[in-house]
Amino acid sequence: MSTLAPDPAASSTTLERRGIPLGDLLFRGVAGTAAIGVTVLLGVIAWKVLDLAWPSITASGLDFLWTEVWNPVTDTYGALTFIYGTAVTSLIALLLATPLSIAIALFLTEIAPRRIAAPIATMVELLAAIPSVVLGLWGILVFGPWIARNLEPWLESTLGFIPIFSGEPSQAGILPAALILTIMIVPITSAICRELFVRTPTELTDGAMALGSTRWEAIRGVMFAYAAPGIAAAVLLGLGRAFGEAIAVTQVIGSSDFISTSIFAPGDTLGSKIASQYQGATTPLQQGSLLYLAAILMVISLTTNVLAQVIVRRFEKQRRAA
Amino acid sequence: MSETLPAASRHDVTVSSNRLGRRKAVEKAFAASGILSALAAVAVLGLVLGSVVFKGVSQLELDFLTLPRPLFGEKGGIADALVGSALIVGMCIVVAVPLAVLVAIYMSEYAGPRVSTFLRVVLDVLNGVPAIVVGIFVFGILVVGRGQSAIFGALALAILMLPLVARATQEVLEIVPRSQREASLALGVTKWRTTWSIILPSAIGGILTGVVIAVARVAGETAPLLFTSSIAANAVSFDVSEALPTLPVAIFVFADSPDPREQASAWAAALVLVAFVLVLNIVAKLIAGRQRRKLEGT
Amino acid sequence: MKRALSLTLALAATVAIALVAGRAEAAPTASTDTNLTGAGATFPFPLISKWIPELGKAYGINVTYSPIGSGGGISAITARTVDFGASDAPLSSSQLDACKGCLVIPWALSATSVPYNLPGIGGRLKLDGPTLANIYLGQITNWNDPAIRRMNTGLNLPDLRITPVYRSDGSGTTYNFTEYLSSVSPAFRSGVGFNTSVSWKTGVGARGSSGVTGVVRQTPGALTYVDVAYSIQNKLQFATIRNRAGKFATPGLRGIQQALSQLPAKVTSLSQLKTVDPPTKAGKLAYPITTFTYVIVPTSSSKAADLRKMVYWAVTQGQKFGPPLLFQPLPKTVQAFAFREIKKIGST
Repeated sequence: MSTLAPDPAASSTTLERRGIPLGDLLFRGVAGTAAIGVTVLLGVIAWKVLDLAWPSITASGLDFLWTEVWNPVTDTYGALTFIYGTAVTSLIALLLATPLSIAIALFLTEIAPRRIAAPIATMVELLAAIPSVVLGLWGILVFGPWIARNLEPWLESTLGFIPIFSGEPSQAGILPAALILTIMIVPITSAICRELFVRTPTELTDGAMALGSTRWEAIRGVMFAYAAPGIAAAVLLGLGRAFGEAIAVTQVIGSSDFISTSIFAPGDTLGSKIASQYQGATTPLQQGSLLYLAAILMVISLTTNVLAQVIVRRFEKQRRAA
Repeated sequence: MSETLPAASRHDVTVSSNRLGRRKAVEKAFAASGILSALAAVAVLGLVLGSVVFKGVSQLELDFLTLPRPLFGEKGGIADALVGSALIVGMCIVVAVPLAVLVAIYMSEYAGPRVSTFLRVVLDVLNGVPAIVVGIFVFGILVVGRGQSAIFGALALAILMLPLVARATQEVLEIVPRSQREASLALGVTKWRTTWSIILPSAIGGILTGVVIAVARVAGETAPLLFTSSIAANAVSFDVSEALPTLPVAIFVFADSPDPREQASAWAAALVLVAFVLVLNIVAKLIAGRQRRKLEGT
Repeated sequence: MKRALSLTLALAATVAIALVAGRAEAAPTASTDTNLTGAGATFPFPLISKWIPELGKAYGINVTYSPIGSGGGISAITARTVDFGASDAPLSSSQLDACKGCLVIPWALSATSVPYNLPGIGGRLKLDGPTLANIYLGQITNWNDPAIRRMNTGLNLPDLRITPVYRSDGSGTTYNFTEYLSSVSPAFRSGVGFNTSVSWKTGVGARGSSGVTGVVRQTPGALTYVDVAYSIQNKLQFATIRNRAGKFATPGLRGIQQALSQLPAKVTSLSQLKTVDPPTKAGKLAYPITTFTYVIVPTSSSKAADLRKMVYWAVTQGQKFGPPLLFQPLPKTVQAFAFREIKKIGST
């Protein structure tokens, strides 16, 4: 064969010449198995949670979703309070976090000079890195009391005519939970928006400004229109995060089983209820109902997540076509 | 920055001065809102970190770091939680990283574009499964009938870590220039050898960054551990077949306490956890910076 | 440079492990091969904490206990993820069935106090059952309500909203408190009922005895129900509660002792251990909200011998650690009952 010095590739080349790509087959097989495994894992998670919840789903039916009760004494349960709590806390968090995130992203990409943008961007990312249990700790001992002593009385005095802003100030309730969720979503959403704004072709905004619009008008008219699907996806991802957060929420939400009009009052969310009661569920129906809540939570987050993915893929396809 | 008006419109200054004034004001408001929002985010970060540091640092003494969780009314620390967290996170890395890298390799080297997109969606969706649902899953499939254990906790955290590392690895692998692969294959090196000895080492910085960031995220997760490793001895133990105490669960439990000493312990434990997470994030940034410089150099 | 870094890290890790391991060795628990893990009620945690080092010294048994709430204790022992469970609530018949051969043995006795946060009222608050029930039903919402003022004429009650605090986790203390409120208030019985976890009409929830005590400490106008040891440890004022004899009783040792004075001479089943709302002849000092707390052990276990030793020690020598923490030693009839139950713990 060859008179050159032994070449490590030679043995495999010899094998290849003989038509047996053994190493390749093995490696590809192992990697492929891993890929299949991960897909199967996702499927198994979805299946198992539904399977665990199934006895309760069949026993309680769909009525469970709009019944506002959680009574271990009479052994009757319903998810409405928690669906409501999840929806309201996440909605408030979203309403606050979206403009904040967009503003921060714009600040970092358009307004701030490079030297300031980098450290501030890092600091916003670090906010995302704070574990939720630490945010919850801060919520219980610092933020919650501040909300009860300052924010809620102020809201009541200025906006108290609206029912949701009236009521007794409480350091544990829907509002503190929503604000903590806001703090958690902002870094995620603003990071995605930042990526979007950086990738927007500058010719679009430059062109608009050449035609006489101010910076803001160019951004509002052109960049947002261009990045709208991406922003929607970012918002949905943030929403998904808010839905799924159980620990920080359970630490500051006050665990009430009923829906109140005021956002100062205690409430509860799907994840939070599961976290606080799962260990101590004493009847099989109570345990099953908590699993039913878990199934609902899983379906809601998966739907939001998949929706975000669909928007992102379509957005990318659009951009590549353009 | 606001001087974006082309020469032409200046002729119309008298007619549209109101609109101009208003547009300039809106422009200023836009800039101001951006600055204020960024400042608000930085302020919140400062408040949280400030609380953690000021309230936790007083409790940080050697005793705190070497004594296990206290009994009622006694002095104690987080030694058992530190050991438990280290063991669980360590096991999680050992399980999740090889698997994640393999999946990423498959996605970038072997799979066609449709399969690759499918896997990317699978990973992103897996990433979006709430941590508490993962906890319930592992509880239902492993803990029921067997009891809690640190290994189950590690597996639950591995499920959370996998998509993060896989996506990060996949993105880095795609950045490695095609030319490297083509050159290697042209020289007769097999595909697997090419991937293993040439592509992976090239991407190692990015993979490491991904791992470090994923560890930072997973080290602070509480929900899955509540279901898999929460009923644990208050003593330092290395027995991973039993449930072990962990830092996030310790913070979660101490946080509710009315006892100022236990509250201070919560802050101190939070300080240790946050410090760990922040250091990891900084390390990740440093590695990413070096990786970027290296790739730009090639 | 990289080498130096990794060497330093390795060195630091070794030092850290050595420090921690060394401290663990020096810990006062005897090195032995028997470990008993338990989980459950937060109520007896103060007392169990005192028992743990003593059990280590006496028999070399390493007991570890996680206070996760009575509900958690019942679930854990049912699933056999622990060696013993602890609960302040007796098991219902369906829970006993689910537990598949579990013994419920009373091993401590104390009282549920009602601490509150009302600075500057000039004295100790007096309450009675129906008023407490109405507070937790949301019918009485302010501290200066006539119903409260009637009982507390000498006190300076403020115009402050009441924040009732309850346990959000499965709790035997909730069972005890709601059992009491259900027996003194028909409205509470039909509206809420009693269980380790109930659907509260009003108020704020918190986890664990620590959690509820914490909220009361931080919230002016709050009140809650919790084991008296927690109130004392956290320097909270607790109310005196009117008993059937018409007197306002304190959750002290005498109050507990008198409350239990009407037990039958021989206790054959747990249903005879009624602790709430004792009859008038119990005594003038009888405190209406007392509770036993139980250990739940499997009738057959590989650790039967150690479990027998632990429970036996707890109901005999362990009782003397109780009084400083306001745990009244078990009455003789109950202790006899416990001895009979301990004999039933057999080996697999």
